[in-house]
Amino acid sequence: MESYTEARESLGGRLRDNDLLAWAANGLEVSGKTVRSWEAAAEYFKASSEVQRQLPSGQFIRWGQIGAKLCADSPSLGVAFFKSSPEALQRLRPRYIEDWANLGRSLYRGTWKSSTLACRYYESTPDLLENLNFIEFTRFSEFLEALSLRSYDLASQSLTDGVVLFREMGSEREAFIAVARVLADKSWRDIRGYFDAAGESLGRVDAGQRGRLLTLIRKLVQLGQANAGEALAAGATALSSVPVDRQSRLLELSELLLAASPTATPELLRQMPTIMGRVSFNQFEEWYAEGLAASRENSDSGMSFFRLESARAQEILDTLASGVELSRIRDLLRTYCRALVGESIELSPTSSIVEKNIGWVEGDAPTTEGSTIYLPAVVDRFASKDANFSWYKVVATHQVGHIEFGSFNFEYTRPSTSFSDLRPHIALPVTSSTPQAIVDELPPDMRDAAVEKGIEGQWLTDMSRFFDAFPDRKLAHDVFTVVEDSRLDARLMHEYRGIVAAYLKTQGESLSERPEIQDLPMREAMLEFIVRVSLKQRSGLKVPREHEATARKIARILDSVATFTTTVEDSAEGSIRIYALLTEVPNQEIPEDEFEDIDLDDQDEQEEEPDEDAQKFLQSLQGDGDGDGEAADQVPDDDSEEQEQIPNDEDYESPEDVSYRGDFKPELAQLLSQMMQSSDMMDGEPGEPLTEEQIKEMLEQSTEVDGEPQEGGEGDQEAQIPDELIQNLLKEMAKRDPQDPQSNSGPFVHVEEDGGPLEATDERSFVYDEWDFRGAEYKPRWCLVHEKDMAEGDLSFVHDTLSDNASLVRDIHRQFERMAPETFRKIKRLEDGEDHDLDSVIEHFVDRRSGNQPTDKIYWRRNKVERDVAVAFLLDMSASTAEAIDETGKSDDDWGAPDDPVEYMVWLRSRRAEGLRRSYKRIVDIEKEGIVLLSNALNMLGDEFGIYGFSGYGRENVEFYVIKELGEPYSESVPRKIDRIAPLHATRMGPAIRHATMKLQNVEAKSKVLFMITDGRPQDRGYSREGVEKEYAVHDTKQALVEARRDGIHPFCLTVDKAGHDYMKTMMDDLSYEVLSDIKLLPTRLPELYQQLTT
Amino acid sequence: MTQADTGFTETKVEEYYVQEEPFYIPHSDEIELFTAAYNEQIPVLLKGPTGTGKTRFVEHMAWLLSTQSKGTVRKHGKAEGIPLVTVACHEDLTASDLVGRFLIDTDGTRWSDGPLTRAVKAGGICYLDEVVEARKDTTVIIHSLTDHRRTLTIDKLGQMIEAADGFLMVISYNPGYQSATKDLKHSTRQRFVALEFNFPPPDIEKDIIIHESGCDEETAVQLAKLGEKVRNLGDYGLSEGASTRVLIYAGRLIKEGVAARRAAQVAVTWGITDDPQLQRSIDEVVTSIFP
Repeated sequence: MESYTEARESLGGRLRDNDLLAWAANGLEVSGKTVRSWEAAAEYFKASSEVQRQLPSGQFIRWGQIGAKLCADSPSLGVAFFKSSPEALQRLRPRYIEDWANLGRSLYRGTWKSSTLACRYYESTPDLLENLNFIEFTRFSEFLEALSLRSYDLASQSLTDGVVLFREMGSEREAFIAVARVLADKSWRDIRGYFDAAGESLGRVDAGQRGRLLTLIRKLVQLGQANAGEALAAGATALSSVPVDRQSRLLELSELLLAASPTATPELLRQMPTIMGRVSFNQFEEWYAEGLAASRENSDSGMSFFRLESARAQEILDTLASGVELSRIRDLLRTYCRALVGESIELSPTSSIVEKNIGWVEGDAPTTEGSTIYLPAVVDRFASKDANFSWYKVVATHQVGHIEFGSFNFEYTRPSTSFSDLRPHIALPVTSSTPQAIVDELPPDMRDAAVEKGIEGQWLTDMSRFFDAFPDRKLAHDVFTVVEDSRLDARLMHEYRGIVAAYLKTQGESLSERPEIQDLPMREAMLEFIVRVSLKQRSGLKVPREHEATARKIARILDSVATFTTTVEDSAEGSIRIYALLTEVPNQEIPEDEFEDIDLDDQDEQEEEPDEDAQKFLQSLQGDGDGDGEAADQVPDDDSEEQEQIPNDEDYESPEDVSYRGDFKPELAQLLSQMMQSSDMMDGEPGEPLTEEQIKEMLEQSTEVDGEPQEGGEGDQEAQIPDELIQNLLKEMAKRDPQDPQSNSGPFVHVEEDGGPLEATDERSFVYDEWDFRGAEYKPRWCLVHEKDMAEGDLSFVHDTLSDNASLVRDIHRQFERMAPETFRKIKRLEDGEDHDLDSVIEHFVDRRSGNQPTDKIYWRRNKVERDVAVAFLLDMSASTAEAIDETGKSDDDWGAPDDPVEYMVWLRSRRAEGLRRSYKRIVDIEKEGIVLLSNALNMLGDEFGIYGFSGYGRENVEFYVIKELGEPYSESVPRKIDRIAPLHATRMGPAIRHATMKLQNVEAKSKVLFMITDGRPQDRGYSREGVEKEYAVHDTKQALVEARRDGIHPFCLTVDKAGHDYMKTMMDDLSYEVLSDIKLLPTRLPELYQQLTT
Repeated sequence: MTQADTGFTETKVEEYYVQEEPFYIPHSDEIELFTAAYNEQIPVLLKGPTGTGKTRFVEHMAWLLSTQSKGTVRKHGKAEGIPLVTVACHEDLTASDLVGRFLIDTDGTRWSDGPLTRAVKAGGICYLDEVVEARKDTTVIIHSLTDHRRTLTIDKLGQMIEAADGFLMVISYNPGYQSATKDLKHSTRQRFVALEFNFPPPDIEKDIIIHESGCDEETAVQLAKLGEKVRNLGDYGLSEGASTRVLIYAGRLIKEGVAARRAAQVAVTWGITDDPQLQRSIDEVVTSIFP
């Protein structure tokens, strides 16, 4: 009542009396409706004054009436309506009031939830209208209504989200709402994702293109080809991956593609970032044009093209792109590396060793751990493909060098070739493996210290032992890395003259990437100096005058290591000397003007024998007996009198990796690679497995593994090595142990099928490896083949077939008869042979006597090709062979099937049980007919043959049915067994082929044929999923066939899958498969093919 | 031996003597072993991949044994020694190709001895190269000649010939590439002592290449290195590594002025494999080794 009075007052002056009366009456009506109406009335009166100011009196009254009507439906609706009116009406034309009310009203369906939604709708209206025009607003309302039919919560959420989203949007609002509207009908559950995606992604797209993108997405959604949210996110990412001025072009292309192949379009959007990572936009257009053409031809091939799955898509992209991908050249480089090393080297992208989490962290630096060479996945450093490839080759060669020239074969006690060894003189802990001679050689005081230390110190590797000799391990490691890399470069360039040009170019390129010497604190600068010298910079090297002598000494040491005769031990000796020289250099900033260019070749100063300083070198290594193994910067301890006390040292930081040399971890690599060799290489007790603690200790001392970040770490703060890393490392080492039977299981574990190798369970089960083309390696003992005897059926199928095809049977017999006798026939009338043919000789003499020109062809010889053939027929018994073939012109395979599901199941079961008593033929029946006809004829020909069927589900259940064993006589049971050939499960071809190959191997015959009859591509659980899995099955099958061929078996595949050309081409040679255009030809074609194959 | 004016040399198979010393660097003690086997009349089986010097070894031994046993003795102004009869076996080689056959003469037939029969009579070394390639019936003949009997039966003549003292059967085969069906039967192979041949180590191979091709040492070192690297691929798709022979060919081409990379490509890469992928990999090895 209060609000009424207030309103009355403010309105009083502005309304005519009758209007006022109507207003008041309306108020009464509002309040009179239900018990809670007074609240609505109060709102009505409250709002009135505001509203009245915005509306002419007629419409003002109308407003009141509309409100009253709402109140009649639900007072709370009225409340919300009145409440938001003043604000809403500022943005709403009066003539839309009624529409507005109705839109809200339509959200209300009498339930509590719907009323909440409707209320919120009214409340949000002012906000919405701030950004939407009324048409958009109406559309949005319609969308909400449609959505509210599905879920009020979602609608209400969308309303809230919408308010926020629309603030950010421009003209694309309409398109946005249109997508939402479609979604509400088609797949309302995606709406949430769509709104989220819009909030996240649209901002990345050029404002002018957003509407168009949304329209594209709407079309996709309408066609049911995409999840709106994902498509929107993908689209936005795609657009933001191309230059802004090309976004519209990309959309144009996408629209064009949509017309040709709706399925391909989302794939295009998804792959865009990948593609743009490899080629320019113009090159992309070229690629796109190919894809579009493919899509127009066949939607499926278009899809795989844009999914970057088709070989062609990859190929074109590859041709266009200048970058080189490791995956494309992996086989090539791997073979190359194997040729160089002569060991079973693997090649993988660096990411795979990082994933193993065994200490390597840099995702794209080349590296090796002694058995696998890791290279970056893509190289796109140069403009041309050749240059990029050449870089790859240099990098691979350098990593191979580590293995070929023994970086990891470092032995602490092995003498170097060109230094007088300091290592034996270093005060070191004595271990069980330290030769007594060395211990005896040590000065007495050192010996005591060494023995004492030996109790605590045990090294896992010689490399660790070496690094332990240095107070500052990090510096030692860095020096050793440069020296060893430099040695390898020299050695490789000597051994492989052909690569020198590319190598020098790469070195030069690396040189240009190096930081300036004079920008670094002195010790780091000196290290940078070494790196530069190792990269063949001989002149223009910046060194401060006071350190020039040291620099020259270092360069000389480096030069003497970097020759082609030196070994890793020389690198170690060189490192000791350089390290010693470096410890004299404080790590201080030095003003740039103190640096001078020096030229290493200009001054032919008196060759100093570096070893004259041997004592000094040794001294710099001794000193801090307790601090050994500290990973942090060198902190002079109190007892290290020899060492200079250096004030204001900067923290020492390692130099940047030289990009082509990558990441060098000698300790870890040695640890891993010595696991592969005999265990007597190890310092520890032979045969005794390494413990977690040992490894942990080693890693903590090593500077190769970064544990927790340790910048600025104090000397006593040791790096924390995560336990997980140690576990991984142990696992990795276990894998390498030659005694471990599972050592072959590679890093590429098939994602869908976990688990390890299988074991044969009984004497009729066999395990086979499976080929994983992604890792280009076998998964050992991956499939279990169960051999089973086929049950026996009755003979009617065989009899029927033979009598139905009586004329064909006769034809085949005639054909085969012509093949058979050749086997035994002598070839006569030869100019040369085993012996005289009497008839010809008589003729010869008759001719001669009668004065005719006698013939010389008077010899005979046994037929060259003796017929000695063994054939194994391998029948596909997968479920798909149950498909009917259209003999009557009706195309459906299930014609005659009842509609009702229950009846259908009964029918299906009876159909299966019915077996051959069927009014139509299935693929498998045709297969059987072919086999019946052929085996009947083969029996006569006398060729050895076996008939096998295969099916199965999963890798542990490959079923291999024996219908007729090779060598088994063709008894009556064979046709009985043929009768029982029936569709079963999936098609894992690889193991079946391998098993059949094994069978053929056990037979002696001159030519062996593996004859496969199938109806489609290989598929099985974990063998043939979408995407890469499909390829997996095809490649395993291909590999199985390659194996067969290697064993002297000629494989042939006959398929009735008309789409068979695409994968058959991959699986088989061009000549060794045939795609039957019409399955009914099979019984005729089979004998013909057989004849061709075996003669 | 008759040296005709036509420029070629015509010799009866059983009168072929190796007169010049064939260049041969022994890998290990094969010369001593062969000499001992020859003196004891034990047949010899040479095993090894193609191009490892099996044939050259037999020639060398024929020469060496001739000079050792007979010295420089010449009869009727002709060279004398141990004749070397070499038969390259092939799929169609039958027993009669080895033993002999009747030929038609003006008035009837005339028997003509095959190479094996001639070697048996002349007391020479009969070298059956790649013996597993021959037809199975040939092995039957080999058997009687390679045990204590040392006889050759000629069915068609109804004759049995006892081998002359100097006769020795030498066969070679390559266990690598032949299929299982072409394996040598145990009954056959256990009549021989087997000498294994393999590729020489790089520094010996280098000397061989220098000697045989006449190229400079630098080239020879690189060729030997190439050979070694390519042979490393034996387990990875190459059925047969690069033979010393192809390396020598490459060396000769280089000596004639062909660019080293090209010479290695035509002589080695393309010669040993048809697999394009493998060819590319080997090409990369070639370009790494040769500037």
